[in-house]
Amino acid sequence: MGAASRRDAQARDLRALGLVATFLRVGVQTELQYRANVVFSALQSLVAVATSLAVLGLVFSHTDSLGGWSGNELLVVMGVYVLMGGVIRSVVQPNMQQLMADVQHGTLDFVLTKPADGQLLVSARRFQLWQAVDVVLGAVLVVVAVVRLDRPVGVGAVLGFLAALGLGAVTIYSFWLLLTIGAFWIVRVDSLVDLFDGMYQAGRWPVSVYPGWLRIGFTFLVPLAFAITVPAQALTGRASGWLLLGAAAFTAVLFTLTRALWRVGLRHYSGASA
Amino acid sequence: MGGDRAPAIRVRELRRTFRVAEREAGLAASVRSLVRRTHRDVEAVAGVSFDVAHGEVVGFLGANGAGKTTTLKMLSGLLHPTSGEVAVLGCTPARREREFLRQITLVMGNRNQLQWDIPAADSFEMNRAIYRIPDAEFRRNRDELVELLEIGDLVRKPVRNLSLGERMKAETAAALLHRPQVLFLDEPTIGLDVTAQKRIRAFLAEYNRRTGASILMTSHYMADVQALCSRVVVIDAGQVLYDGGLRALTTRFAAHQTITVGLPEGAVDLSGYGEVVESTPDGRTSLRVPKAQASAVAARLLAAHRVSDLTIEDPPIEDVIEQVFASRPAPTAPVTR
Repeated sequence: MGAASRRDAQARDLRALGLVATFLRVGVQTELQYRANVVFSALQSLVAVATSLAVLGLVFSHTDSLGGWSGNELLVVMGVYVLMGGVIRSVVQPNMQQLMADVQHGTLDFVLTKPADGQLLVSARRFQLWQAVDVVLGAVLVVVAVVRLDRPVGVGAVLGFLAALGLGAVTIYSFWLLLTIGAFWIVRVDSLVDLFDGMYQAGRWPVSVYPGWLRIGFTFLVPLAFAITVPAQALTGRASGWLLLGAAAFTAVLFTLTRALWRVGLRHYSGASA
Repeated sequence: MGGDRAPAIRVRELRRTFRVAEREAGLAASVRSLVRRTHRDVEAVAGVSFDVAHGEVVGFLGANGAGKTTTLKMLSGLLHPTSGEVAVLGCTPARREREFLRQITLVMGNRNQLQWDIPAADSFEMNRAIYRIPDAEFRRNRDELVELLEIGDLVRKPVRNLSLGERMKAETAAALLHRPQVLFLDEPTIGLDVTAQKRIRAFLAEYNRRTGASILMTSHYMADVQALCSRVVVIDAGQVLYDGGLRALTTRFAAHQTITVGLPEGAVDLSGYGEVVESTPDGRTSLRVPKAQASAVAARLLAAHRVSDLTIEDPPIEDVIEQVFASRPAPTAPVTR
């Protein structure tokens, strides 16, 4: 790989970032027109969080620890759960729903005749700003939990947490995209969102509280462990460097898989393989 | 144009076969098809060849299912040909190279690419980023398109609030912001009222004149074709039936002409001269006569009656196209995708 092609690759990455930035800006502009939505979103989020806190309080009125996690540690998990849910609803889900609609209506053709990476285009077109209220709320919960933890949290733990959070977001995105592409061959896709939401609910607890078979499922089939539990572990000092490395490797594999399946899907779409 | 330059679009022996699952109606057949699916190959495009020169506007005509959309999709790189050659601006569309995609555009009248809930201006902005149009050029192109299409105030409204005609104008602007050199237009005026159709038509002619872009368009409105296309390619059942000028099409396929005579003495029975299509009480009669005999019939009319006026006309282009299709055996189960 020569310096020239490396420069090319860098230029391409920069352009991709520019594209995402433009999409994000347009998305924000759009959402600002629907200001009433922020009230609803915030209200919805607050009710959901209050309910979860009540459940958490109830559980810890009977016991001091759940699967080895203290109350404040579980608050970290819940914070990450809310935060990641915000990322999913503001970025991942709207784009995947748009992709499904485009395939059904034949408008994916317009995406595929654009001189840009198709996967990037279908993944970054939509942005629902008000759903990102949960990202803020989740972050607040995490900070509150960390303050209440009766031990200092080091810089390393915070960096590990942020890294794990980023990896988790990519993991969830990849999982959603695989689900979306895969669904075209298997079933109708209308209920995909409900299906995912149902499964995502399980992420409010660390995966270690679930029985073995479910834990494996939530780690590798529905990667809730990597998206939620691992970042929480990193912040509460439960994650080893190996675990983070494992999360990075898993994310890389899953992301590579989305690239491959996207290409296969395109070939199928254009009938190159038929 | 063009001289000895390679044509903008070159298609040779293009074929595309689709494999379709086949099953009979009814529950039993549905269940059976779960177990064993029978397939059938359908040739949507069966050996099509034509060229489009730089700057040329060509009408691509055919009935539903004739293979027009399939061909357009192969030309824009969305579908891979089963066999045959396609070159657009020297590129192979199926490779979908960015350099190629930057120079073409695809407009489909029955599908919209503008996002529903945001103003068109925002979608323009996204296209600027996708096509990486430099700022100054983007502003110049956008303002020019907005002015030509008269959509100044509309681009700020969410697309959902636009009428069909307004939306189509905005769609067209969005598709041309990057100044493509080759335009693939699939029914660009479908469903529009006459005024909006005229507007789009005039705009496309102006775009072609200003940029020298090549246009290949399908339309069911012959007015589109007559206003824009110097040449038409007619396909049916995946094959080219006719490729040439619009006038020559009429000459070749119109078997009849219409003679309209005005007789000052009032309505007279002229059925002896030909098939009477229309006769008004004030003495105007339209006759349908075989083309070869048209001038002879006109001469006889002029000799036998006091004629205030007489015209010989070719039939409307719709009728000619119908004639073209009628001259072919019925296609077997056309399929488009």
